[in-house]
Amino acid sequence: MFSQLNIRHRFEGRMWFFQVSIFILLLILLFRMVNLQFLQHDGLMLQAEKNRLNVVPVLPTRGTITDRFGIGLAVNHISYRLTMIPERVENMDTMMTQLTAIMQWTPNQIKHINKRIERSRKDRPVLLSDKLTWQKVAPLSARLHRFPGLDVQAGTHRFYPYKELTSHLIGYLSLARNRDLERGYLRSEYIGRSGLERSFEKRLHGSLGSQQEEVDAHGRRIAVLQQTPSSMGEDIQLSLNVDLQKAAAKVMGKRTGAVVVMDVHSGEVLTLLSTPGIDTNQFTLGLEQKQWNAWLNDKQRPLLNRTTQAAYPPASTWKLVSSFAGLRQKAPLANRSTQCEGFIQLADRKMRCWKRTGHQKINMHDAIMHSCDVYFYELGDQLGMQHLSDEGKLWGFGEVTGIPLPPESRGHLAPSMQRLHNGRERHWYRGETMITAIGQGQTTVTPLQMARFSAAIANGGDILRPHLEAGKAPEIIRHVDVKPKHLKRIQESMYAVANKVGGTAFYHLRHSAWKIAGKTGTAQVISMSQNDDAEKSKTPEIDSHKDHAWFMGYAPYENPKVAFAIFVEHGGHGGSAAGPIAKAMVEVLAAQEAKE
Amino acid sequence: MISVIQRMDKTLIICLLSLSTLGLFVLYAAVHDGDITIFQKQAVFWCLGLVGFIGICFLPLRLMGLLAWPVYLIALLSLALVPLIGDVHMGARRWLDLGVVAFQPSEMMKWALMLILAHWFASREPNTWANFLVPLMMTIVPAALIVIQPDLGTTLVLLFAAVAMLIVSGFAWRWILAAIASSPIILYILWHNMHSYQKQRVLTFLDPQSDPLGAGYHVIQSSIAIGSGGFWGKGYLEGTQGRLHFLPEQHTDFIFAILAEEGGLIAVTLLLIIYGILISRMLTIAAHAHSRFGALLTTGIASIFMLYAFINIGMVSGILPVVGVPLPFISYGGSALLTMLGALAIVMRVAIESKGNIPWQRPSSPLS
Repeated sequence: MFSQLNIRHRFEGRMWFFQVSIFILLLILLFRMVNLQFLQHDGLMLQAEKNRLNVVPVLPTRGTITDRFGIGLAVNHISYRLTMIPERVENMDTMMTQLTAIMQWTPNQIKHINKRIERSRKDRPVLLSDKLTWQKVAPLSARLHRFPGLDVQAGTHRFYPYKELTSHLIGYLSLARNRDLERGYLRSEYIGRSGLERSFEKRLHGSLGSQQEEVDAHGRRIAVLQQTPSSMGEDIQLSLNVDLQKAAAKVMGKRTGAVVVMDVHSGEVLTLLSTPGIDTNQFTLGLEQKQWNAWLNDKQRPLLNRTTQAAYPPASTWKLVSSFAGLRQKAPLANRSTQCEGFIQLADRKMRCWKRTGHQKINMHDAIMHSCDVYFYELGDQLGMQHLSDEGKLWGFGEVTGIPLPPESRGHLAPSMQRLHNGRERHWYRGETMITAIGQGQTTVTPLQMARFSAAIANGGDILRPHLEAGKAPEIIRHVDVKPKHLKRIQESMYAVANKVGGTAFYHLRHSAWKIAGKTGTAQVISMSQNDDAEKSKTPEIDSHKDHAWFMGYAPYENPKVAFAIFVEHGGHGGSAAGPIAKAMVEVLAAQEAKE
Repeated sequence: MISVIQRMDKTLIICLLSLSTLGLFVLYAAVHDGDITIFQKQAVFWCLGLVGFIGICFLPLRLMGLLAWPVYLIALLSLALVPLIGDVHMGARRWLDLGVVAFQPSEMMKWALMLILAHWFASREPNTWANFLVPLMMTIVPAALIVIQPDLGTTLVLLFAAVAMLIVSGFAWRWILAAIASSPIILYILWHNMHSYQKQRVLTFLDPQSDPLGAGYHVIQSSIAIGSGGFWGKGYLEGTQGRLHFLPEQHTDFIFAILAEEGGLIAVTLLLIIYGILISRMLTIAAHAHSRFGALLTTGIASIFMLYAFINIGMVSGILPVVGVPLPFISYGGSALLTMLGALAIVMRVAIESKGNIPWQRPSSPLS
């Protein structure tokens, strides 16, 4: 047993034990505090700032695209977008259910949205829905506080007022994809995917701004602390003349084809129309796969830009190239006449002129005016493949024009003799050279190349780089060394085509507002045996058996301003199918000039 | 009357007033841009509590001895009633609704247990089986009732405080170690007698990581708050973690984080020093107590304060699991404040009765 004093003694000992224990416990706490507040201070301070601060990107407003008179071709409409920061959402399932009810999303839309959330970073805003009207977001806006992590932002969306009319030229936008993120784009940004939206992406886009916000634990914005404004993209004024484009489209109607009009001196493109077009607004409205597939599989190929991406046989328009070659190479026939009997006999083959009865005695001027085939068969025969090919090359065929609308087709020049001798090509027949001279055979050209060729004839031989920006300095790629008297002869012949009785386009162009000089072309679609006297098409109801129609040239004849190339797929005869389009456009241009 | 006031312990008074001032300042910071009535209520509780404090100082300690059994039995009875008629609040059944006020029997039991253990040991010899097992049962029965609520924090405080009473009552270390060693066995038996839903509650409580956005997130955020405060703090009302609601329960269990964020290491050290002085002074009062009952009771109360402070700061700073215990005199909560003031008043009464008298069974050196 312990004595009372022993108990007292032990009690005092235990009290010291407690005093020491308290000291140790408080010391443990103090060490922990020094650890947190001193040693880990910098790291934890950073985390507190990260908690508090939210850097939100401020999207720039995309620059607009207007035509030469300031009419909007690609503009921005005010709309609202719904974004979400996934990591700030408390319960994703409940929120999505409630949002679906408010926004009336379809199951398909929900699927897309979920996919986008899955692929995105959890601490950055993800676009749920955009191009919303105020009526659509108003009910949500009022209840936003009940959806932490959600935000409604006012912004803009792209709108193309002329839809199909400018679809190939202007192009379209779509949301950034994974590989765009590597280039510094945000998931919620739109990027130009084709046409000028793509070519001028850097200039149109502008630069991102940012906003530093203070947010609370629920992700709600408490205050904006700092703002670096975004800078708007550049507004680009095109050389395009949208009224001219409209006039061309109107005459073109439902036919497929291409119309190019360019300034003969500056290289400015005034019209670049490819039909049919597509409504590019559907891309920004969220294109359905079904619609895209429909465009892809459409036999009329609405996605193809026929002005630059497609190359066609130049047909009789090529006779101008052959003529230049004849004059340059001093071919015997260039300054003489020949006899057209409606065909030319080559060994056992008959090479026909389009005019069965023949043009009789005919020289170069008349051969261009009447588009006599026999004359050019003989001229081509005298020149040979090499000279024909070289001349085409000089005038800018077989190479891209350099218009900022990639990808651009180069077309195809019939092989030169050099390549033939290298033995890489099969045996070349004399007859093939002859049909090359009238623009049939292997040669193909794009409508834009053809328009540039017209411009060069009009401006004295300058091959220009076609461009689309108003007021941009002309860029001459090369000057074709052609004798003025030779040029004059060709120009006069082209004038006769449209203005002299018997010219292939005379009937359709004689009363034009401006005097037009040009050349028709009718490209055979069905290759027929040259001896076949049968009807060209045994099934005329099938459009695709009709010939392609060309008309190229410039106006006004005395003082050339614009050059053009018109191509109508399966349009029939060049003069009747393509000519009226040229006439309609010249009328618009003359009227515009009168107004000024 | 005058003599009672004169005999009051000055150190306790200074500590108490410092804590009330500091506590109200920190609470204001925690709620100033939210529900300001919380601050006003707490200020009223302080006034009431201080009046009650002075009142209790006049009650002779003998009365506490007489009240020990009745208070303990009432606490035990109401604790037994909780599983039957208690209110469920935040996943745990802790409250009894008495019509006018709701109270937590577990809260009452802490002080009742100190009272009954002090009363038991005051007149008994240590190191006998009977004197060991009876207090053990007095502790384990209420502890079992509290752990199934579940309220692990209070259970821990209860058990540790009981061990403190064993230590101070003069039991040899082997008895104390035996008591501590027996707790796993007791817990094992208890576990097997629990319903599965009760087990589930305890499990969630023990493993906060099973709910990463719950308790785990809270500790991360409070650590960030404390650490970002740094040496000097962010300045009064300048803390961002609290203002932007990253801290959970920022006016109750996690209020320490507000103090640490805005006041920095300076304020934290100040608080720890005040707690140190307060508890150390209580132990000194115990050492010089005129009666053994007073000495034991004071030590028990001091250990509860210390456990509260240590567990709370430990859990907020991430070195202890999150068990809900308040920070003494700082956390918001009327009943906790009033009971703590009441307990402190009892300590004050011990000091008053000891002043000028010799400590129990010691011939010299009265409490100065």
